[in-house]
Amino acid sequence: MELYIGGFAQGKLAYVRKKYPQYTDLDVMDGSMPCGFHQHFKIWNHFHLWVKRRLLEGGDPESELEQFLTAYPDSIIICDEIGNGIIPLDHEERQYREYTGRLLCRIAKEAVCVERIICGVGCRIK
Amino acid sequence: MILIVGGSASGKSAYAEQTAIEAAGARKLYYCATMQIDGEEGLARARKHQKQRQGKGFCTIERGRDIAGLAGRISGGVVLLECLSNLVANEMFAGDVIYAPLAVAQKVYREICCLNECAAGLVIVTNNVFEDGIVYDRATMRYLEALAAVNCMLAKEADTVTEIVAGIPLTVK
Repeated sequence: MELYIGGFAQGKLAYVRKKYPQYTDLDVMDGSMPCGFHQHFKIWNHFHLWVKRRLLEGGDPESELEQFLTAYPDSIIICDEIGNGIIPLDHEERQYREYTGRLLCRIAKEAVCVERIICGVGCRIK
Repeated sequence: MILIVGGSASGKSAYAEQTAIEAAGARKLYYCATMQIDGEEGLARARKHQKQRQGKGFCTIERGRDIAGLAGRISGGVVLLECLSNLVANEMFAGDVIYAPLAVAQKVYREICCLNECAAGLVIVTNNVFEDGIVYDRATMRYLEALAAVNCMLAKEADTVTEIVAGIPLTVK
């Protein structure tokens, strides 16, 4: 497991794609798309949008992530940093940040490598 | 080219000033202010910043857009360009239409490269406004995309990239 985090539009996917040129578009799953884990993919992009979507759909992202971590331990997860702002008043928005942050901690714990990307440049933080 | 990135009130301005002063040595030192002064609040803010820079040897140039036009004027000097968030906004929302993020980013990037070629040194201050997870209105999201793209382009070109956190410089590149 590898984790890549950073702010909106910081060039995270481009960074990962450059680091691993062997992966094609077909190896990337976008978290905003309603796509299950039945098919194997290498890069899980927009993880935060998956969390948001599953919460809206009434899913259980926590246990679903656990299943994923067991099934595909050698995946790459890319996620936006969404927690460095004012905690929103709106309950759903608050839940979204709470879950995303907690799940990122879980992934980071499992990950062999965590990089933070800013201005397109990666800094290894684990 | 030195790129300095940080959140609001992170101490990035003070760090950038110091960096520019050190880079300049005996050369001429320019401060390129990109904020377009609009109303009394803006004026007060500009005055406050000017006061902060007083006695540090900066020659202030106010330029909200089309900064390549300054290339001749700053030739051979060291330039502190502050800051990209204003410059990108000014370029993007200049007319009645909102320009495409990548077009704005490329224009700003090209113009900064032009300044860089003429200057003996260029220190650029930019904002980290990308980590709150808020989905803003379309115009704002496009603005964020443009600023992020300029940041990525400049970071690639820059000799050093430094992130400022609570006044502490962290080396990114």
